[in-house]
Amino acid sequence: MAATSNATVAEPAERVLVIERVFDAPRELVFKCWTEPGHLSQWLGSTIVTWELRQGGRYRMHKRGPDGQDHWQQGVFLEIVAPERIVRTHCWTDAEGRPTRPETLLTVTFADLDRRTKVTLHQAVFESVAARDEHQRGWSSSLDQLTEYIATV
Amino acid sequence: MVNYLQTSPDLSTTFAALADPTRRAILARLAAGRATVAELAEPFEMSGPAVSKHLKVLERAGLISRGREAQWRPCRLVAAPLKDAVDWLEEYRRFWEQSFDRLDDYLRELQAKDKPASPTKEKKNGRNK
Repeated sequence: MAATSNATVAEPAERVLVIERVFDAPRELVFKCWTEPGHLSQWLGSTIVTWELRQGGRYRMHKRGPDGQDHWQQGVFLEIVAPERIVRTHCWTDAEGRPTRPETLLTVTFADLDRRTKVTLHQAVFESVAARDEHQRGWSSSLDQLTEYIATV
Repeated sequence: MVNYLQTSPDLSTTFAALADPTRRAILARLAAGRATVAELAEPFEMSGPAVSKHLKVLERAGLISRGREAQWRPCRLVAAPLKDAVDWLEEYRRFWEQSFDRLDDYLRELQAKDKPASPTKEKKNGRNK
């Protein structure tokens, strides 16, 4: 009776990560799970350190990995349209907030499917805040060729 | 185990180098085989020095290597950092999929608890599993 469907697509043309999933819950509730720290920490497995849910607000979360190591993820909210869309930057960092991985741009949209909700997560590597439009094309087809090449190495 | 947390400082350099479309095109060209600066400059209507600048960035990022021969210093693609970059995106995919699985479970638990709000109480004991 679980009406959950799954779809994962790595957009070949842009090398952008796109993950879609339908959750068996109303949109307002799903949106809450993404925006309220009490809910978020439950399923993300992280402790919310900072959570300024507004445009330009910052967030920071802490997670202890199974290896016992501490890790942080942090970023800035760029857009919050309840209960439809959240746009935020996302980056893994060390304890001092220094990035250990490149920053990414995360866009999460919530589509109302009548008591069910389709969540689409779109994560782009080059669409950082400043260069968002410039890098809109993301990874061009040239990178696809590279990927093919890598596969042969 | 998902490896997304592993520190790899070089990855930022790789992505910074890849962020430029011209540099990606240069790499794509090199994927087809080694080439000289002049050969690489040709399709871009770019001066030799401009292309050399891009090549320096790529070289510093470890994405290409250049021959020692003074006159024709052929450029060659180095695949390892690119593979790291592609692998990293895959790690992110796994990270989100696992998170989505947990969100799915969590939403079920939440709704099972909140059932009293519904007029039909089909499932009184709403424990999952």
